[in-house]
Amino acid sequence: MSRDIFIVSNSTDELGGVTGWMHQTARLFTGQGHRVHAIGIHASDLTMALPEQPAHPVTALYPAHPPTPWTPHGIRDRFRIPTRRKEAARVAAKKQAVARLSEIFATARPGAVVIVTQVWAMEWVGEADTTGLRVIGMSHESYGYSRASHRYRWIKNHYKDLDHWLVLTEEDADQWAGDGMNNVGFLPNALSRLPAVPSPRTARTVASIGRLSDQKGIDLLLDTWAQVAPFRPDWRLRVYGAGEDETALKAQCTALGLDGSVEWMGRTDDVERALADASVFVQSSRGEGFPLALLEAMASGVPCAAFDCAPGVREIVRDGEDGLLAPAGDTAALADRLLRLTGNPRLRDSMGARARSGVQRFSEPETLRRWEELFAFLER
Amino acid sequence: MSDFSCVITGGGDGEGPGGADALRASVESVLGQSLRGAEAVVVLASAADPAVRTTARALADRAPGRVRLVHADPAVRTTGALRNAGLEAADGRYVLVLGTGERLQRHACRNLWLAGETSRADLIAGRWSRIADESGKEREPSWQGELYARSRTLARFTEAPGLVVRDALVTGFCLRREAARRHGLRYEEDLAHGEILFGPLAAAAVGRIALVRRLVVTGRADPDRARDLTALVEAHRRVANTLLAHGLTELREEREKAFARDHLVPLARSFPRLPAARRAQVAAAAARTLTTPVPPDLPPLERVAVTLLARGDAERVLAAAYALSRPATVCAPLATGADGRVTWGDGAEGLPLDVTELGHQHRTFGELRLMNRLTRCATDGDGRLLLEGRLVLPGHSGPGPGTPLTATLEFRARGGARAVAFPVEEVRHDGNGIIWRARADVSRRLRPVGARDTAWDARLTVQAGGADGPRSVSDLFAPQDQVEGAARFAAQPLLGRLAGDTWEPYITLKDHLALRLTARRRPARTAHRLIRYATHFRPARKAKLLVRALRKRLDRYRSRGFKATAYNTWLTRLPVRRGSVVLESHMGTCYGDSPRALHEEIRRQGLKLHATWSYDPSPAGFPDDASLVRRWSWRYLWALARAEYWVDNQGFPQNLRKPRHTTYLQTWHGSAYKRMGFDETRVRLQNAPQRERLQQAVDRFDHFLVRSEHDVNTLARAYRLPEDKLLRTGYPRNDALIAERTRSETEGRLPRPPLASALGLDDHRKTVLYAPTFRGGPGRQGKGRLLLEVREFAERFGDTHTLLVRSHYLESARLPVCPPGTVVDVSHHHDVSELLVLTDVLVTDYSSIMFDFALLDRPVVLYAPDLDTYTAERGSYFDLREKAPGPVTATQDELFAALAELKKSDTRYADQRRAFVAQFGPYDRGDAARRAVAAVFAPGASRGFRGARHTTDHDRGAGR
Repeated sequence: MSRDIFIVSNSTDELGGVTGWMHQTARLFTGQGHRVHAIGIHASDLTMALPEQPAHPVTALYPAHPPTPWTPHGIRDRFRIPTRRKEAARVAAKKQAVARLSEIFATARPGAVVIVTQVWAMEWVGEADTTGLRVIGMSHESYGYSRASHRYRWIKNHYKDLDHWLVLTEEDADQWAGDGMNNVGFLPNALSRLPAVPSPRTARTVASIGRLSDQKGIDLLLDTWAQVAPFRPDWRLRVYGAGEDETALKAQCTALGLDGSVEWMGRTDDVERALADASVFVQSSRGEGFPLALLEAMASGVPCAAFDCAPGVREIVRDGEDGLLAPAGDTAALADRLLRLTGNPRLRDSMGARARSGVQRFSEPETLRRWEELFAFLER
Repeated sequence: MSDFSCVITGGGDGEGPGGADALRASVESVLGQSLRGAEAVVVLASAADPAVRTTARALADRAPGRVRLVHADPAVRTTGALRNAGLEAADGRYVLVLGTGERLQRHACRNLWLAGETSRADLIAGRWSRIADESGKEREPSWQGELYARSRTLARFTEAPGLVVRDALVTGFCLRREAARRHGLRYEEDLAHGEILFGPLAAAAVGRIALVRRLVVTGRADPDRARDLTALVEAHRRVANTLLAHGLTELREEREKAFARDHLVPLARSFPRLPAARRAQVAAAAARTLTTPVPPDLPPLERVAVTLLARGDAERVLAAAYALSRPATVCAPLATGADGRVTWGDGAEGLPLDVTELGHQHRTFGELRLMNRLTRCATDGDGRLLLEGRLVLPGHSGPGPGTPLTATLEFRARGGARAVAFPVEEVRHDGNGIIWRARADVSRRLRPVGARDTAWDARLTVQAGGADGPRSVSDLFAPQDQVEGAARFAAQPLLGRLAGDTWEPYITLKDHLALRLTARRRPARTAHRLIRYATHFRPARKAKLLVRALRKRLDRYRSRGFKATAYNTWLTRLPVRRGSVVLESHMGTCYGDSPRALHEEIRRQGLKLHATWSYDPSPAGFPDDASLVRRWSWRYLWALARAEYWVDNQGFPQNLRKPRHTTYLQTWHGSAYKRMGFDETRVRLQNAPQRERLQQAVDRFDHFLVRSEHDVNTLARAYRLPEDKLLRTGYPRNDALIAERTRSETEGRLPRPPLASALGLDDHRKTVLYAPTFRGGPGRQGKGRLLLEVREFAERFGDTHTLLVRSHYLESARLPVCPPGTVVDVSHHHDVSELLVLTDVLVTDYSSIMFDFALLDRPVVLYAPDLDTYTAERGSYFDLREKAPGPVTATQDELFAALAELKKSDTRYADQRRAFVAQFGPYDRGDAARRAVAAVFAPGASRGFRGARHTTDHDRGAGR
């Protein structure tokens, strides 16, 4: 059965996992015969290059990130006219955006589904007219990471009354259910593509791929590498990615005396190539959902060392079998895992091979089947 | 065919009143399901109440496709039979049976369905909650959290024993209908509470079981245990037999224990609330049905209550119920055997009931709380209140038969200070108790004001052996029904007869005798009605709401968030008060540690400084020569904003900014073994704003005291403190230890400081201090359990050692009662240094106290049962086993062995201890306070480096 599917995210083209997920899923649904419309609240300036021109329509409600709501700081601020006017303009623009969204939704045929991938977008979807549509919320991060941030309150407020919403693993779903959210389900992310040839794992390179932002914990990675580098002088750490913390991280790298062994590769659009040049993949995130980067690395046959920071990581990497996990935040332990992987080519080869075969349980057809089942289930 | 059939019964035997409302609630919860294919199968008994029938019909008319009425055969009467009829009529893929008044959570069917379809299980179970009796609040059974910790599929029910050990499957689960039919699962028709049996039978019969961590059913009512005891026991017995038939003896034993705790103990606890005839009935029924032996590993009082219940002794169960709600009270005579074991009762119970654990034997008459059972409450011929009662004596302590006894009866206004005493006319010994009788002329002597003091609690004071003898004060205990309507007395309130005219004895909710002022005659009744009207009619209600709203507003102005904002924007602009110092130790909990040592040094030198100490929660024990302000009070913030100096050992509230004119001396509270600050995994994993807040808080420090290069490499680095902020003076709190060491080396240990006798320490006994570290995390303050079995220590070393126990200032541990002089709780003592001076041996795990104590050069034993897990979890700066100042023990036996042979082994550790001091405390030379004061408070002390950074800091705030 073909249906209308709207996928709403924070942004249409921001560099990051969720946006990538949106376009990947849209492509899958389109291939299945559904009519997909990808909607972003705003277009972004730090854009990601989409692999090919998407076959589905893409709409951004704002040309750039909309201003955040105003809260007066002190009495004087309350009576400041420019801020008041700015706030009024923001409210008007939001009304317009909501109207536009309602218009898009109005084109839907019966049985249509709205998938809200990030809770922030609910600020607009919640106000738009969704009569006759089924709204499915999503959270692409672990319960623990949401709990520590403002998104916890947002999720509790916006998703509480939804028919159904999804997290990435059963463990996360259980944690949310224990917290009183009984309408939660789970659905893992899919691996987009299996590279034809696995990495040869011959280069003396450790790769890290991810935005250079606090969540990805590159600062922790540098601390870790400072404990590895003295023992592995011939190995290099390649950090792929760009982001707001770039200068601070480079300064930290210099302060740690790692300039000779860390290579800042900048943003990459060709992840497969980057992984083909690497023998070990490292992930040092503070919080994750169901990290695609890890999936991709394993699909390329690159063994991983990662912080066990979320149920999603545990679900992808079976510790000691197809990768090595370290307690989250424990840089000494992560350094130990890296030393083990970099020091033992046989271990790398066996783990890499197992990773490549194991990760295929998250294949696209499997995930697509689960989505179709979910759509059918929600109609019962 | 529908997806989900929910069977709801109406009008079965044993269904109480309110059946119509309960039925409506249940059916509406089914109609509100997010799974639209859920139907309600309502089975009505032919004898059902007309109201129930009407309700059912109305619901069926409202949703014809989703509510199905089944009219049961007249022969079908019991709830069990009705449910069977419902199971037969159901046609959904899954069936679920709801008890009276139970409601489905909105997404229940959907969650069960989803789990059933993905796991292919035949039984799918989720969480349920019940209404607590009085408050009407929903609560889940405490054991449920563990059972449903994560969603999973079981191949057999034995993989989750909790399912059958507890009454987990009484509701909140569904069955695949086809599986229920295949296995012939039916309710026992003649058994009330058949659901207790049905669930375990179903679980044992079907194959796969799925558990989902979702709330499925709410509003389950607790069974009326007094009424249905026989049925509950019967159902339990059959479940137990089923387990036995499956060869699961261990589970059966577990189930016996769980049944005793979940049903029998609550039943015993409810005894004071039952009328006398009912108590006798229940006890008789219990004696008839409870034939299996009492589970041996229940806690002592629970075991006593269940044993007495099984013997059908209603009066003694009553005493046990009183003991259960007040474990510190002696409710029966105690007998001490030759082996030192203490048993409950005078032997008439026939069974030895060991209650040694309660520790009553270590307390004497006067210290003990005793049960005072009211035996008679009546009016005597002259219109006076006649009270008779009996005070239980424990047996091991108490006035002997020859000791003269005096007693007074007292009525005290609740919530007020007024009390009126009456003489007791007869008080005498009676074997293992004291019998007393009092007459109180309450009409004439008890004169209440008439407003606010309408309830007066009674209590009896018994004094043995003259004016200086020990006194025992007790409330008068009686079951609820004992004094109902027993007597009434005229009352004369000071406000006049309109305020009330009658004294009425009654039993409070806590089972104690009290008097209340009531209105029985017309004038007072009318006055009360008028007052009630004036305080309850609409304008009055409005006014009350308004007051409440205003109070809430005011509460906001008292909140920390508001105070912090006001402080940061306004108070920090106040001008400095020259020479003012605000001191705080451990967030205000004590007057101790280095801030105290600095304060005393300032006082000794006579510096012109004005000290302000912060306290929380109580100012007791703080010095007189300082102003005292409560932490987070407005006066506290005012003092902080104007202070020239802040001195603290842990951190003033993180969100308070330091004013530009202030110098902050951070003395810190100990060298580090476990990782701290930004080295801590927990902190490293925090998100950027959280870490930024910590950094800002740490940036407030101007001086930071260190006692070794170890501190420089660990603490200073962990908190990112620059070199120029470090003061290498050592800790002022340790000056006392250095002085004590010098003194004991030249003059010997004796005489000890006066504190020793205040704590009751004998000179010929060794003093052992047990001071474990803090094991909770932030926000997990509360009761911890000590890892050391204090009672065992007392048994083994009680004759030769005294144990001082100091739990962490963020945790409180309750110590068991031990023989006097063996164990002393010093958790609330202000200054640890004073205790260390008295201590001969220190026992600790990872606490920084070991770094300080080592300065005394006295033996240390480390007792760290969880060393490896703890260091793996928290991380450490060095290997404790390698550098420890004494033996590292992992079990209690090892610890005791180490303590026993301390004299022999200590020479071995003396060198290690000296190396330890050399590494971790070289700057502690006994003059830390003087040097720190000179560096910070002396005129011309260096303050130059502060300038620029704090100016910007302040300007940023001011410019907003």
